[in-house]
Amino acid sequence: MLNQVLLQLLNGLVVGSSLALVAAGLALLFGVLHIINFAQGDFFMMGGYAVWFSFNLTHNYVAAMIVGTIAMGIIGGIILSAVIWPLLQRSQVLVLLATLGLSLILEQLATNILGGDTKLVPPPLPVPVPIGPILYPAYDLVVIAAGIGILILGYFALQYTRYGIWLRAVAQNRPMAAALGVPVPRVYVLAFMVSAALAAMAGGLLLPLQSVYPTIGGDVIQNAFIIVVAGGLGNFRGAAIVALLVGEFNALGQLIPGIKPSVLTLILFGLVILLLMYRAQRQHALLRL
Amino acid sequence: MLDVQDLHAFYGASHVVQGVSFSVKQGEAVALVGRNGVGKTSTLKSLMGMETRTRGSIAFDGGSLMGMASHVRASKGLGYVPEERAVFPQMTVEENIRIGSLLGKSGDQKSVLDRAYALFPILRERKGQMAGTLSGGQQKMLALARGIALRPKLLLVDEPTEGLMPANVELITHALLTATQEGMTVLLVDSSFDLLKTLCTRMYAMDRGVLVGTYQPTDFASADQLAATMLGEARAQ
Repeated sequence: MLNQVLLQLLNGLVVGSSLALVAAGLALLFGVLHIINFAQGDFFMMGGYAVWFSFNLTHNYVAAMIVGTIAMGIIGGIILSAVIWPLLQRSQVLVLLATLGLSLILEQLATNILGGDTKLVPPPLPVPVPIGPILYPAYDLVVIAAGIGILILGYFALQYTRYGIWLRAVAQNRPMAAALGVPVPRVYVLAFMVSAALAAMAGGLLLPLQSVYPTIGGDVIQNAFIIVVAGGLGNFRGAAIVALLVGEFNALGQLIPGIKPSVLTLILFGLVILLLMYRAQRQHALLRL
Repeated sequence: MLDVQDLHAFYGASHVVQGVSFSVKQGEAVALVGRNGVGKTSTLKSLMGMETRTRGSIAFDGGSLMGMASHVRASKGLGYVPEERAVFPQMTVEENIRIGSLLGKSGDQKSVLDRAYALFPILRERKGQMAGTLSGGQQKMLALARGIALRPKLLLVDEPTEGLMPANVELITHALLTATQEGMTVLLVDSSFDLLKTLCTRMYAMDRGVLVGTYQPTDFASADQLAATMLGEARAQ
């Protein structure tokens, strides 16, 4: 039983750390631009394809990961700029609809161009690592380390680098940031690129574990939205922590005999609703970036 | 240094600044005075590029500012200390000051911090504290210290003494006076007689979106006289 718990704890971290990357990207965009990006799951999907494509070119998983993530950061940044920029001074509903439309277009394009079938890569690190009493796949540990490592790096970049401080400044008080000389358009583009790259990186990391197909983003985005709302909209650190908790919740929940995944999801929704009700009474608990 | 001609600003359906023309010379401290809601803040915001709909001409340091985004105007040497929402609430006092200096070299960043802390030593004591947890007066000092320490060519300051204790008004007056003595040009909106008298070389009276008169601080012997004149200008309209 203890072995089972340890195994599920690790599984929860694999799912949680990759979800955290997707959700942190969503939180960053919401924090800086106050917009919700429905296409975030599709950047996850495109990240998977980008890494699959680069892997077939290079046959080197590390190189494929780096090339795929950077390429999707740039492509995603360009797509988001093109779609969202013209709508920035307009109603937020328009941005919402535009990203929803973008999501449908990207999904359909993926199906038309790449086909609806599942793309696989060979396992990059087929060695089991002994952790206490159990053996755990080495690659899964890499996913955990890479996901959590990037999030910690992102957190410190937000705290201490020039653009990190500017991202937070624009999130908290855009007019004042601009009046102090912060190049707001550049900060927006950076937020677009980092947000897309985070989702793409998660898609690439999970590629050897769950492969990639055109609608894979939809499965990810639902959880990511719950996480961003629960983490405090626009709160990078909150989203990352809640994502890990959600991963663990789903993984450990499976240990309870006779419980279906759909029931777990219901319980999760219930918990998030309770959290929101509690938070509504203490407005100041909401943090921005 | 600053030459404004026939400046108009619109806020929704209302025409809040209706053809204002004035100028500020290098090294001067000039004030816009008048009752609340006559367009003083909107005039400052128009200069900073923060009003969405403006028309007219703004010449600054030899070039036109019209149509430029706020951050470009800041890089041309304009500084702004707003009356409200001046700080980043969930960033520390030190980060609040650093934001504007991050475009420069790291040595300059250090001296910006030193200058800000020298103006109001309380800020050094509070440097790790979130700006949103400072008192209203301290937030005003933070915003002003940052504005002055960044050494813009022209600093726009909106109501720096509004709602402050007399001791803090003195501190702020001293800070602005030192800045102008060191060569900074200031365009100020305020109603504190002591501040205007000490600092300003000229005052423009504003009412209902237009300029209605030009005064010297010596035209007024007391705060009451200044207030009466402002109200009088309003009645005369």
